[in-house]
Amino acid sequence: MSSVTYPRRKLTNSIMMGLCILAAGIGIAWLALILGALLYKGIAGLSASVFTEMTPPPGEAGGLLNAIAGSLAMSVIAMLVGTPIGILAGTYMAEYGRFSRLTLLVRFINDILLSAPSIVVGLFVYEMLVVPMGHFSAVAGSFALAVLVIPVVVRTTEDMLNLVPNALREAGTAIGAPRWIVIRSVAYRAASSGIVTGILLAIARISGETAPLLFTALNNQFWSSNLNAPMASLPVTIFQFALSPYEEWQQLAWTGALIITLTVLGLSIVARSLTGRKEDR
Amino acid sequence: MNVAGAERQDSRRERIVRQFALTDLIFREVSRAAAILVLALLGGVALSLALGSWPALSTFGTSFLVTESWNPVTEKFGALAPIYGTLVTSAIAILLAVPIGIGIAVFLTELCPRALRRPIGIAIELLAGIPSIIYGIWGLFVFAPFLQKTLQPFVIDAFADIPVLSSLFAGPPYGIGMLTSALILTIMVLPFITSITKDVFDTVPSILKESAYGIGCTTWEVIRHIVIPYTRVGIMGGVMLGLGRALGETMAVTFVIGNAHRINASLFAPGTTISATIANEFTEADGKLYTSSLIALGLILFFITFIILAAARFMLMRIDRKAGA
Amino acid sequence: MISAEKPAPQTTASPAKIEIRNLNFYYGETKALKSINMTLPERSVTAFIGPSGCGKSTLLRVLNRIYELYPRQRAEGEVLVDGKNILDRSQDLNMLRTKVGMVFQKPTPFPMSIYENIAFGIRLYETLSRSEIDERVEAALRRAALWNEVKDKLNASGLSLSGGQQQRLCIARTVAVKPEIILLDEPASALDPLSTAKIEELIDELRADYTIVIVTHNMQQAARVSRQTAFMYLGELVEFDDTSKIFTSPQQKRTQDYVTGRFG
Repeated sequence: MSSVTYPRRKLTNSIMMGLCILAAGIGIAWLALILGALLYKGIAGLSASVFTEMTPPPGEAGGLLNAIAGSLAMSVIAMLVGTPIGILAGTYMAEYGRFSRLTLLVRFINDILLSAPSIVVGLFVYEMLVVPMGHFSAVAGSFALAVLVIPVVVRTTEDMLNLVPNALREAGTAIGAPRWIVIRSVAYRAASSGIVTGILLAIARISGETAPLLFTALNNQFWSSNLNAPMASLPVTIFQFALSPYEEWQQLAWTGALIITLTVLGLSIVARSLTGRKEDR
Repeated sequence: MNVAGAERQDSRRERIVRQFALTDLIFREVSRAAAILVLALLGGVALSLALGSWPALSTFGTSFLVTESWNPVTEKFGALAPIYGTLVTSAIAILLAVPIGIGIAVFLTELCPRALRRPIGIAIELLAGIPSIIYGIWGLFVFAPFLQKTLQPFVIDAFADIPVLSSLFAGPPYGIGMLTSALILTIMVLPFITSITKDVFDTVPSILKESAYGIGCTTWEVIRHIVIPYTRVGIMGGVMLGLGRALGETMAVTFVIGNAHRINASLFAPGTTISATIANEFTEADGKLYTSSLIALGLILFFITFIILAAARFMLMRIDRKAGA
Repeated sequence: MISAEKPAPQTTASPAKIEIRNLNFYYGETKALKSINMTLPERSVTAFIGPSGCGKSTLLRVLNRIYELYPRQRAEGEVLVDGKNILDRSQDLNMLRTKVGMVFQKPTPFPMSIYENIAFGIRLYETLSRSEIDERVEAALRRAALWNEVKDKLNASGLSLSGGQQQRLCIARTVAVKPEIILLDEPASALDPLSTAKIEELIDELRADYTIVIVTHNMQQAARVSRQTAFMYLGELVEFDDTSKIFTSPQQKRTQDYVTGRFG
């Protein structure tokens, strides 16, 4: 480095720092463009009928009611199935099995499951449920979403329980409480906001998932409350409508995309503020 | 308390203690079963894909991997075009996203005013959570037409007489295609790479950086010679995680890739990826062999991403241990 | 090597509550306690002193088997409480811990209200009416000299109290489940001098009803609060005698060196 003069080094520094600022500028501007377009195009179609009318046939006006309801229904079922399993598994890893080899293995596999392609999960559920049942169904769609919920909840539950000081567990144990009461009344309570964050993040994750629903819940042009039949969902409807040649459908796709984005951002912000407060304390 | 009362209380306690022990055993075993279920899920995914793809793999053998043709009418299927498309789009995305991501991370840790650091960091993490279908719809309606009208004609003209580049960027300008997909993937994996890089940058002990500044290093030299070498493994982990995302990304790509089972030298040409092929064709696939071939594609994708993600986790585990020590 | 058959101090009139016989303790392969033998009398305060790492906290943690929370830790030998070996496999741990309470170095209020912090332990093994629990909570808080400070904010979080108050809350919580033995693991080391004095006063009041064992690195504290003192060093029990003897005329040179501040 001795042969390089100081002004030259300073120049290199300025150039590289300039590039870093440029990178940040590009990244942020690009993302701003996407959100801007989404807002601009999405708001144009936003009206009460979006939430009150069914998805229309091509060329007609309509709404997204059955798609929104389908998404809600399948998300609720997925959360009801996935959350307890995720919390229990996370509990085993941080409490009963904290020092076991099984926990190391589960943590590793869970992290892979966390980032595994969701379309592969769709194929898995297709093989597991759709083929044996002989038809597409909301149950299969919910199950596919539940498979995506579990790793998120496992991860946050384990992380948050690991942050609970051991002294607190010892104190609970020392007054004669059995382990499960220590977990329920002390550890869960101390980690509650973190665990809720994980649940919210899991909802955010599945509310926009499309690929795993394509060949599990399929889609439905009409209102359906039959869990044993195909069911519409917002993401799949967006996919279908956006790729169609009909303007009304394309507009509904944009509006649906805006609804999903706002939902996801809202959930993430609430989740973040829950744990953020904890860090400040 | 009289003696009889004390005895009564003791026997009551013993009963409660037995109840507690039983509940504890149940809770322990149920939670253990849930943990094992996580393992079973991944095992189940692998097993079901292997079973589902068996008809295709036993029919085509290893030639499935190296055949370009994908013909539902004659039932001749080969995975080469989707594999090629998956690898090329992901590679371009990573090549673009890594320098930009590291640049943003440097900006956030070294240059950004303190007051903006948290909001920008949070914004980037929020963007990592935006569903891919949003990127897809934007790519289809906004980005692809933009490329078609501006960048693509310009590049095709500019490189028309340069040997290699002319075939890499050959027309006509469709708007959609391999490069468009790669650019959308870039913007999608950018938040992942940025936030992990930022996190591992934060693990560099400030005393190390301070001593480098102390001997007169510029900011760039500190990053180049101290921060990046120190966090190399962690950055690699973040890159691998981003690569895993890019390889398996479905919706964003499906909208803009064009779904053409051809390997074309031009990056402007339509192509396909594994996940886009599955998403586009699965519900319409008739015939056992067709469906099975699509599941075989899924198996290949699962295999590739499993290895990439496992490598990423090993690398990130190493940096965690370093930070913890 | 110390004689393994060292007799208990003869000056104590009260009967034995805890008898430790040939106790060894291991962290994995490391032996942390070596052939400990001692007898702790009922309703009196015994202090464990010694330099850090000498095994005094380890010994305390054997008495309620809290170490069982962690893998690769094990005790060998006998610890008799009221003549019953608590190291026996058949000993129920939760039952043992209701009998042997423990207060820790750092205050550990549970993440719940002051009232719940105390009621929580009471409800575990007893089915009582609301008013009976109210009485027990008040009694425990009075016992820990905390009642007057918190009686108007029983529903406030236990975490809202000061460090010294939190530690007295933990003592109240321990007393509330009516143990016979109370283990204190450096209960005042995280507190300011004023809070420390209050805790010591409290220990003085509690010793009439409970068998108390306290671990401390503060020799003045040991001298102030305890009737017997055990000096430990490198996992061995070097000397165990009346506190006054340990501090004025110890039999062992190492004890003398330690209490006069020559090492540790």
